[in-house]
Amino acid sequence: MDVTKLVEQGLFQLFEGVRVDDGTDLSKPLLVLNPKSPVVEVTTTERVSLALLCTDSVSSKVTLRLAPQAKCSVALLCLGRGVLALDVEQGAESESRITTALLSDATLSYNVRLLGERAASEFDGLYIATGNDHCSVSLNVRHEVAECKSRSMIKGVAAGTATGEFRGLVYVAKDAQRTDAEQQNRNIELDRSHIVALPQLEIYADDVRCSHGSTVGRADEEAVFYMRQRGLSEADARRLLLEGFVQEVAQACDVAHICRMMAEEIDKRLLTI
Amino acid sequence: MKEREEDILKKLESSEYEYGFTSDIETETLPKGLNEGIIRLISQKKGEPEWMLESRLKAFRHWQKMPLPTWAHLQIPEIDFQDIIYYAEPKPRKKLSSVDEIDPELKRTFDKLGIPLEEQMALAGVAVDAVIDSVSVKTTFRETLAEKGIIFCSISEAVREYPDLVRKYLGSVVSYADNFYAALNAAVFSDGSFCYIPKGVRCPMELSTYFRINAEGTGQFERTLIVADEGAYVSYLEGCTAPRRDENQLHAAVVEIVVERDAEVKYSTVQNWYPGDKDGKGGIYNFVTKRGICHENARLSWTQVETGSAITWKYPSCVLAGDNSVGEFYSVAMTNNYQQADTGTKMIHLGRNTRSRIVSKGISAGHSENSYRGLVKIAPKAENARNFSQCDSLLIGDKCGAHTFPHIDSRNRSAMLEHEATTSKISDEQLFYCRQRGVSTEDAVGLIVNGYAREVLAKLPMEFAVEAQKLLSLSLEGSVG
Amino acid sequence: MLKVTDLHASVGDKEILRGINLEVKAGEVHAIMGPNGSGKSTLASVLAGNDKFTVTSGSVTFEGEDMLSMSVEERAHKGMFLGFQYPVEIPGVTMANFMKLAVNERRKAEGKEPLTAAEFLRLMREKSAVVELDAKMTSRAVNEGFSGGEKKKNEIFQMAMLDPKLAVLDETDSGLDIDALRIVATGVTRLHTPQNATVVITHYQRLLDYIVPDVVHVLYKGRIIYSGDKSLALKLEKEGYDWLINDYKE
Repeated sequence: MDVTKLVEQGLFQLFEGVRVDDGTDLSKPLLVLNPKSPVVEVTTTERVSLALLCTDSVSSKVTLRLAPQAKCSVALLCLGRGVLALDVEQGAESESRITTALLSDATLSYNVRLLGERAASEFDGLYIATGNDHCSVSLNVRHEVAECKSRSMIKGVAAGTATGEFRGLVYVAKDAQRTDAEQQNRNIELDRSHIVALPQLEIYADDVRCSHGSTVGRADEEAVFYMRQRGLSEADARRLLLEGFVQEVAQACDVAHICRMMAEEIDKRLLTI
Repeated sequence: MKEREEDILKKLESSEYEYGFTSDIETETLPKGLNEGIIRLISQKKGEPEWMLESRLKAFRHWQKMPLPTWAHLQIPEIDFQDIIYYAEPKPRKKLSSVDEIDPELKRTFDKLGIPLEEQMALAGVAVDAVIDSVSVKTTFRETLAEKGIIFCSISEAVREYPDLVRKYLGSVVSYADNFYAALNAAVFSDGSFCYIPKGVRCPMELSTYFRINAEGTGQFERTLIVADEGAYVSYLEGCTAPRRDENQLHAAVVEIVVERDAEVKYSTVQNWYPGDKDGKGGIYNFVTKRGICHENARLSWTQVETGSAITWKYPSCVLAGDNSVGEFYSVAMTNNYQQADTGTKMIHLGRNTRSRIVSKGISAGHSENSYRGLVKIAPKAENARNFSQCDSLLIGDKCGAHTFPHIDSRNRSAMLEHEATTSKISDEQLFYCRQRGVSTEDAVGLIVNGYAREVLAKLPMEFAVEAQKLLSLSLEGSVG
Repeated sequence: MLKVTDLHASVGDKEILRGINLEVKAGEVHAIMGPNGSGKSTLASVLAGNDKFTVTSGSVTFEGEDMLSMSVEERAHKGMFLGFQYPVEIPGVTMANFMKLAVNERRKAEGKEPLTAAEFLRLMREKSAVVELDAKMTSRAVNEGFSGGEKKKNEIFQMAMLDPKLAVLDETDSGLDIDALRIVATGVTRLHTPQNATVVITHYQRLLDYIVPDVVHVLYKGRIIYSGDKSLALKLEKEGYDWLINDYKE
């Protein structure tokens, strides 16, 4: 993928700063290519779109601080090997919308701390592990104060002899009353792969709505039957279901242009299964 | 309304543990502390054969090298293993005329606990092995069961009288090297029950063991071994209580179950060890290893209602070794005041078409901490394995914690695993609705909690279910908000 | 077109169909009614080839060919359509993608060239009008987040797209309000020609006000115990099933 071309075409603007404030030009999504360890502070209340693109091997930690009422959409597309961390700290009434696609032998840890009341976090993540990969996604959502909301969905596909691993935690601190938290994890296990899932809830406040779920399995057999009844071969039905399963993540992405790239890269990755 | 809730909370804290009395039984104990000499003495007291002593010593030597498990979500004060009495036996006041006669004070103790030791007084269809401190004092209905070839006796007797069976199975499911407390138990276990159901026999009555700690400063280390031979069936119940004391007492049991081909075992526990007082003083440390192995087409079902103990560390598990075998775990764990519980299960799928089901209902109140911890493991050869897990937590009050720590590990693509968990509190709407219909808040909470736990309670044998329901409401008394 | 002879089918050890005989000719509309648990939905599933059910004896031929030996998709390619009572949600798979594959697989089986993208879009637009389907729905995932009425309309839309010879509609009327019912039923009627046939499985007579059957069958305990003309449906609506099934109670 020629990233410089995308910038030249004017689809993105390269971002190397540390502050996104009222003076920052937000007409195009901000792009950070192969990040090292930037700390980005968002102080404007305009919606910010940030694309993080890892094409090389990386070892990076991106810190994102959202001031009260900041709104930030992040898309992370990881095509290189490596270890990635994304730490998000959110002030009151801030919103984060994060989409990640891990399409290589890589590890991602995502930590969000909801530090101001009525902050909201949404996360959609995907990993596809093939060959001998060991892909690992860990997600630690910490509700430190009252009335915050978080929703996350992590999907995993493991094929070949790969291992796919998910570690999730929803933590609700003692005074974080009226927390609304949901964390879902869905895994599809193919070939001779190995799936590990550790979804966890740690809750110290009582007036909360928290749930999590995790599944491992093949395609929904009822859906396969339904599709065959409409004339699709079993193999096509399964392939289409798998495509639908993984592409939902790209569909959730709301950072312009990168969502299309994400969909394309996911398709490419599927071909290696 | 807020004030009212606080009143109720206070009341709940102060609710009394019903079985906290101490019996005036003279007890003969071995000195405090643990060394090879003590183990030889225990073995000698039990009149054990040499191989049993050797096996104890081997476990002890291994235990000395083992670290304490620290992975649970528990705060366990340091335990001085040399400050515990490892053997205590009630001493009869007078010479008893026959072996069958029971010391009247012991009998009174069990009567008070609602466990009559005379067969004519007993609950219909329940045979009881009554264990106090380190010894079994009476096993009822033995003759009736013997007619069917069923062996039901204390493990001490079994070691002496059925050495071949015991040697074959003891330690076959939970090895002495399994974990710290299992090793300790293998070294010092005192009494417990043994039961063997021969091929094709359906046990005509419920078998049960009632464990009572009475002596001060002692630990209880019971060992239970249940073997259901091919095509056999048994339903087994376990109950336990202890006196109210300021010190903590250790209970480290091991239960092993072997379910042979086509056999079925149901194991139910109502655990009501002394939980400590409202400030968290005293109470039993309940560190238990329970595991069963299922061979082809076998079925093992664990049901537990855990309301007692200061600290519970317990994971009744199923090794689904045979094709088409089924494992189930149904649990209600309630913690109040400063109780801590870390409990759950392991389902190890090794055979084809194995199925498991986990239903766990945690209830935390007061300042307690309550965790579900579970492992579902699918081995590479376990084609078409299925698991469903539902783990819910209910919080009562804002000073407690409720946690869920499942671990899923699948190495076979044909596996279908599903885990769901929710955490919630009793809603104000539910309470208001009940109160509008004239039910007091406290009763309403009892009702709602029992409703919440119903799916699990329904798995218990009838007499136990009623008991467990009462226990849930009682344990909650004074914790409600 | 369809000939079912002494069909027995079971799930696990339980026999649900216990000797079904049914013949449907081109141009006909049949209605199958019966109380809950009589085996109506099982019959539909077995005809479509759902392997949840095991056919223990009997035969089913479709245009003279043995249908029981065909796979689910082969039956579909031959022109057998099942309208599901509970249409399945397929997350992430768009209607357009799904239908394109379904239509072209059918064409492939018939030895026809696949439709081009433009031809396909034209077909979608044309057919979505049959059931007053919002064109936007085709970019949504199959049945996902659809209301009950939308799901059923979507079934009829797919039926229009695939142009089956035999459509078996399993409780297509359940859970529909009166407007949706009218739209669905009108759609079915418009798709009916002298060359194809429709089997409507229903609980209620009201659907049959719109889709007028030539024959009404009563299914009970896995057998067709009575067949009549459309007036039978009215009688059942008024009098229930008791007068019919008393003789068959065990």
